Amino acid sequence: MWSRIISRLLTSLVVAWASVTAAFLALHALPGRIQDILAGDLEYPGLREAIAAEWGLDRSLPAQYLDFLLRILQGDFGTSYVLRQPVTEVVGSQLMPTVQLALLGGLLAIVIAVALALLTAGRGRISRQIASFLELVFASTPVFWLGILLLMAFSFTLRWFPVSGASGWKSIVLPSLTLALPTAGLLAQVLREAMEKTLDQPFVTTVRSRGVGELVIRARHVLRHALLPAVTLGGWLIGGLLGGAVITEKVFGRPGLGTVTLGAVLTHDVPVVLAVVLLAAFIHVAASTVLDILYLLIDPRLRAQ
Amino acid sequence: MRKISISSRTAIVIASVMLGGQLAQAQEGKPISGGAITWGVATEPSCFDPHRASQQAAFFVARNYIDSLVGKKADGTFAPWLATEWSVSPDGKEYTYKLREDVVFHDGEKFDAAAVKANYDFVKKPENATNAVALLQYFDRAEVVSPYVVKLILTQPDSTFLESTSNVKLGIISPKALAKGDLCGGGPLLAGTGPFVFERYSRGQSAAFVRNKDYKWGPGYAVHTGPAYLDRVTLRFLPEAAVRAGALTSGQVDLIEGVQPTDVALFADQAEFKLLTGPSGASTSFTFNINYTIPPADDVRVRRALRDGFDLEPLVKQVYLGTVPRAWSIIGPANPAYNKALVGAWGNNIAGANKLLDEAGWTGRDSEGFRTKNGVRLKIDVGYPQPYVRDNREVLIQGIQAALRKNIGFDLNLRIITAGEYAKNNANGTWTIYPNTDNPSDPARELWDMLGSKGFLYSNIANPDLQITGLIDEALRSTDVAKKRAITDEIQKLGVDQAFIVPMFAPSWFLAAKNNVNGLSFEAGLDSPSSAYDFWLSK
Repeated sequence: MWSRIISRLLTSLVVAWASVTAAFLALHALPGRIQDILAGDLEYPGLREAIAAEWGLDRSLPAQYLDFLLRILQGDFGTSYVLRQPVTEVVGSQLMPTVQLALLGGLLAIVIAVALALLTAGRGRISRQIASFLELVFASTPVFWLGILLLMAFSFTLRWFPVSGASGWKSIVLPSLTLALPTAGLLAQVLREAMEKTLDQPFVTTVRSRGVGELVIRARHVLRHALLPAVTLGGWLIGGLLGGAVITEKVFGRPGLGTVTLGAVLTHDVPVVLAVVLLAAFIHVAASTVLDILYLLIDPRLRAQ
Repeated sequence: MRKISISSRTAIVIASVMLGGQLAQAQEGKPISGGAITWGVATEPSCFDPHRASQQAAFFVARNYIDSLVGKKADGTFAPWLATEWSVSPDGKEYTYKLREDVVFHDGEKFDAAAVKANYDFVKKPENATNAVALLQYFDRAEVVSPYVVKLILTQPDSTFLESTSNVKLGIISPKALAKGDLCGGGPLLAGTGPFVFERYSRGQSAAFVRNKDYKWGPGYAVHTGPAYLDRVTLRFLPEAAVRAGALTSGQVDLIEGVQPTDVALFADQAEFKLLTGPSGASTSFTFNINYTIPPADDVRVRRALRDGFDLEPLVKQVYLGTVPRAWSIIGPANPAYNKALVGAWGNNIAGANKLLDEAGWTGRDSEGFRTKNGVRLKIDVGYPQPYVRDNREVLIQGIQAALRKNIGFDLNLRIITAGEYAKNNANGTWTIYPNTDNPSDPARELWDMLGSKGFLYSNIANPDLQITGLIDEALRSTDVAKKRAITDEIQKLGVDQAFIVPMFAPSWFLAAKNNVNGLSFEAGLDSPSSAYDFWLSK
């Protein structure tokens, strides 16, 4: 098992390195001089020279590449010339609101999906069809539109929740629900399908014959089997949550990486965009690594080699 | 049918707001002090320091905490502000300002001639990397004549300089704050002398301002004197137009800017709300700038055919539901320097446009129906940098594209390009048509930006038209108001006549507010909503 974990970690490192390399190559493949690209909209005497010095643009490409790799390793993403702050500071200060939103959205999605699947898998046709229809609607509704619909209903008309702002837990309810529903829709479909397959397995009949209650069978035995295909979706889920968080922040006017990214794109703040892209890549890599290791914990068969 | 009724009603409301500005003031009653408002704005400034900011949306925010030496009135003349009087030397190279003696910065520092000199020196210094330095093209140095008299000395006469000293970009910041370094992040560190003190900035969310209780040096164009009425103003950054509108209709904010044409009906004619529309392009119109040095646009007949080959009016009406007027000149209709003689002087002459193209030799037709000459299609690219694409401007251009194709077989090819590609085209002088609206400044300075020999469009083009660049240089030097006016009129006429520029529409600002928010207006020098200085809340 340990050798599998170690080889998985090594693969992840290679993928992370490849993404840094891709970012470096993409930057150099853009039309125009690197110092013009990094300066964004700014223009003042000495700026181009300062950037050239900071990035060592007078050196050979391999030397610049090594330097870039080393700096990223140290967590140094350079300076945002538009915001006149170190990129790490800009991104760091906005990371928590996005992580908070994505985690809460993810948690909510899992709770909704598991509850739906537990309640409807293998049960009456009508309740299944209603649940399945709702899931399909949520899964296929764009986050952007869903957010506006929720706002119209619960903020503009019923006035239960604010648009945004720092007014405690109330201000995060609608954004996290917006983020959770599409994910929950898809997850519930996959979970139910897997649970129904498992319910037909002989071992379920065996467990039943011991007189175990239906809820315990579903929650303890069947769900665990059904989790595998759901975990496979995990990598996609985390990507969806991050991407969704960016859009959700824009709709609700919340602080976070989305706002920073959008601002950076609009003001041509390439160092910040670069950092966000790399951060997203690292999160993807880390998440899929964790999930792969999680497989081993869920399914004993995978450990036994 | 419904669409028509909304747009005509809107037009009436807008017209009545524009005409009845003073009337509304009288109806609102006697202003009372106190209260707080939340203002939903579309754009979060990336920098709050007026010297360094570059976004139009940053400047009306900065006006709340930053004052200038003089104030620009709606009629284009100037009013006292931090300077009580000013004079220009006969050679037009020395500007002397007599300053108020009772002004104090938010950080407790005293405002005086040395503070003004510190600000101008700071902006001029290249390593401080200010955006405002563009306004100091001919500024040489500042001299402290006495504690409250400062002299600003130029290297050559500059007719745009008085306007520049009224510009918020050259607003006065406490020298102590300037010395502290970077002020882009706002907050109490960014100490000006304005009617509000910058209390707090939360990135991605809000910016809060509290009343400056000692304020008694408001601009001469303001409605009242003394401290601001409101205790507190909070800006909430809500980039989504539908969310801004919903936040106002549900009472979560008191005031919003950037109301979409489709949301206008929510607020116009409603008992609980008011809608105001701002200066219609007091700066420049939204224009096509045609690079007249690159074929086929180096032929004036081709440019004129492009200008006249479509009917602009219905296109603008269709895209903006009658909320903005079509443009006739480079300079917007609300600007005192607007050349009214151009109204009706050009455009929508399809037969004439076809005749011009026939004469110019574009007589062939290809399989798609476009005109050709020697087998080459009549085609010009409109390179629109993606970050500047906004409020359906690309839809308007697509409308023009379709009309030109149908009417005169002209391939106007809209391409949404990256900022990098545009930067490269600009550096090489190879841009072909650039759609643009310029930041507000003196009209001669704006014309220079668009068409001048060192302006931002033509700085890298080797052989610009000598007649128009010569006129612009003359306007920059001309200190005689009437003479300068005649020259800027001539430049606007020449620009459209030669079809160097095709004006499209005059952008406006839309404000919507709860009915109890009073004193809303627009500031000429900003070409945008005014600061919250005159705002007040009725019970």
